[in-house]
Amino acid sequence: MADQSGSSGQMGAGASAGGFWARLQQIPRYYIYLLLAAVVIWQILFPIPFPVTPSATTRGLEEAIRAVPEGKLVLISADWDSSTQAETGPQTAAVVEACFRHRKRFVLMTLSPPMGAKLANNIASEIAKQYRATYGVDWANWGYKYGTSNVLMAMVKDVPKTVGSDFYGKPVKSLPIMRGVRTVKDIGLVVEVTGLAGMTEMWIGLIQGPQGVPFAAAYTAVMAPGYYPYLDSGQIEGMLVGAKGAAEMESLIARPGLGMAIMSAQSWAHVLIILFIIVGNLGYVLARGREKSG
Amino acid sequence: MTGTEIAILWAAAIATLSVYSILYRENPVSRLFEHIFVGLAAGYLLVATWTQNLQAKWWAPMVVEGRWYWVFAPVIGLLFYFIYSRRLSWMARLAMGVFFGTAAGVYFREFFPLYSPQVWASFKPLRPIFDAAAPPVSVSLAWWNAVIQNWLFVAVLLTVMSYFFFSVAHEGRGGRALGRSALLGRWFLMIAFGAMFGNTVMARLSLFIGRVQFLLYDWVGHYWPWLAGRGT
Amino acid sequence: MLTSWLGPQQATTPLVYHILLALLASGVLLYLLHRYLGPRGRRGLIVVATFLFGLFFGLEYFLPVRTKTLWPTGLPNVGGSAGNLLTPGIEPMSNILAVIGAFTVGLGVYSLVQVHGRNVLRRRAGWYNSFAFFLSFFAMFSFGLWQYSLHLPEPIPPTLTLTQRIANDGYEILFQGLYAPLQAATFSLLAFYIASAAYRAFRIRSAEAALMMVAAFIVMLGQVPIGAWLTRGIPNEGAIALLRLENLGEWVMRSLNSPAQRGIALGVAIGALAMSLRVWLSLERGTFFAEQK
Repeated sequence: MADQSGSSGQMGAGASAGGFWARLQQIPRYYIYLLLAAVVIWQILFPIPFPVTPSATTRGLEEAIRAVPEGKLVLISADWDSSTQAETGPQTAAVVEACFRHRKRFVLMTLSPPMGAKLANNIASEIAKQYRATYGVDWANWGYKYGTSNVLMAMVKDVPKTVGSDFYGKPVKSLPIMRGVRTVKDIGLVVEVTGLAGMTEMWIGLIQGPQGVPFAAAYTAVMAPGYYPYLDSGQIEGMLVGAKGAAEMESLIARPGLGMAIMSAQSWAHVLIILFIIVGNLGYVLARGREKSG
Repeated sequence: MTGTEIAILWAAAIATLSVYSILYRENPVSRLFEHIFVGLAAGYLLVATWTQNLQAKWWAPMVVEGRWYWVFAPVIGLLFYFIYSRRLSWMARLAMGVFFGTAAGVYFREFFPLYSPQVWASFKPLRPIFDAAAPPVSVSLAWWNAVIQNWLFVAVLLTVMSYFFFSVAHEGRGGRALGRSALLGRWFLMIAFGAMFGNTVMARLSLFIGRVQFLLYDWVGHYWPWLAGRGT
Repeated sequence: MLTSWLGPQQATTPLVYHILLALLASGVLLYLLHRYLGPRGRRGLIVVATFLFGLFFGLEYFLPVRTKTLWPTGLPNVGGSAGNLLTPGIEPMSNILAVIGAFTVGLGVYSLVQVHGRNVLRRRAGWYNSFAFFLSFFAMFSFGLWQYSLHLPEPIPPTLTLTQRIANDGYEILFQGLYAPLQAATFSLLAFYIASAAYRAFRIRSAEAALMMVAAFIVMLGQVPIGAWLTRGIPNEGAIALLRLENLGEWVMRSLNSPAQRGIALGVAIGALAMSLRVWLSLERGTFFAEQK
């Protein structure tokens, strides 16, 4: 099993035998930080762009948005905050763009944490200006709703009453976009954009499964592997994985944005991490070999 | 850019660089900004809870619509605060019991819609049949691909599940077979953990790249348009 | 008369009286319960409350659906809104619990105020940091509520009064200028730690670890465009297409990771179900389930 603890005792034993590789194992961590920062800054300043090919999971999400029937809403549940903004921000932007592109009316909502409502609102407002979309008619923001599973259960039978007021404090019943929206079955697709584990299980368990409302998602890369089983079973129609998922969606709808801007730096940073692992292990093996022969 | 937008830009840049100063070593500036962060988070949580939830769903029905019985909601909600009193803490446990019971009940509701499709989807066709007109044995690439994928899927699933089955000792004929299956399951788990690690690296690096983009494109780029242009 | 007395009160004075009376009644009830219920009675009450609330939500799901409920909901029959005996109660009960739960946000805030308050009052080392906590807390609280109370239109017009501008700009500086960037920067530190760990700590000491790292390398390269570029020479058709890094990465995720994750998830699900059953039936022991001595 790979040693995750990095016990310095074992490395110290290797170092004491001397040698270039042993000394390389002991370099201060600031050099590692500086190297990482240098590679990222290099690519931010002088990006070497590589083409982004949309994967099947991203296509699934885009097709799900296109398939939303006329008269139904897309509900984008922006359950993220600035701790994951680098991934979930571009993902939200890509999904919002896709909705505008395919002329699907959408609403934003946040179940947790509260910050998501404002951050997603900022993103949607900016993009709405480009499409000359009107708040309350083409899109709306229901805001942060405390209660997670309680909110979802209440929404099943009466969405306007459960939502109450929108992000700006206006009663949602007064918004033109809410005309004809009564129960959760009037929602054509739920797209969950999140970095929090557990939210999807509630959406699928309380809304997608029992009510048959289609569900898609955009996850941070760290949690995406755990949701591939739901993709396989068809409970999730499509999925964006991390910033790359956002880049793929941007390439699908031909609107390069933040996702694509990250990709070149991301690529080279991954290569650097792989080199760190290889050099680190090579040095460890060679230093130990020298110690044994010495 | 307006004065406020420039103030926001500089505040964000200084805050970001202060946090990064901790990479060199612990220092008073990074500690100060940590405390500021906690204070802002606590304040925002209260604001968001009132403006986005309580005002519309509790205050307005009680005070504007006259539904006085909503006053019982804070009575029950504030029972939680008795956790700080040794004598009265049982009332807090009463309120917690309500929520624990609700959570259990909600989990019972969620369980079948969530996991039964997972079980059904695990029954992959081990001898795929594409259509009635096709010959019973097809040597096409698609058929072989489906066979291999389905067998592999089922094998990985069963061996991984056998790894977590601790009710039978890995002794005797049956036990040893289970032990071998569990060993294979562990290998497949290592592959899954490797995939998770790869994705974790991707996620963490994205967070840093996002911050560097802000510092270079937005902050420095505001004064050096060439840099701002790189971000488009 | 009873229904009008128990129903909504439109006039202010009766409303205030009703609220005060309700608070008084609640206080009396809690006092009586505390005074006359012994430890066993209290535990019994907690067990009953836990059971009933869990029963309500669980049973509503399992009871057969009928075309009519036993008592009218007042809602029109929307979209075949069938339900059972308990269905009309789900929505109001969920809303009530969401509101009750919202009052608990103060628990964390109270704890923070206690800790930092002590630091400031006793002038402990670094007390100015705790003072900064209070400053930022009250600043965000004040500006947040103030900005919200103005109900500024969307998009925000360029012509705002001085008060509106101070409220809005103050809030935006605190939120966009400090809160969001601080959180983003704090979590972005993880990138450095993972880089440091990759070099200094991740050691491949066994075949299993080697397998894990190979899978990680494939996924890491497959998830970024450079991986596709590295294997661009391999045709994207036929069986050989699997050797392209982006396809190989996707295959690892779907064919190896997915069933393994499902195996883990099903095991966790059964465990969680058993745990939920124990909590519902109050069979659990521990800090929150037992009387404090």
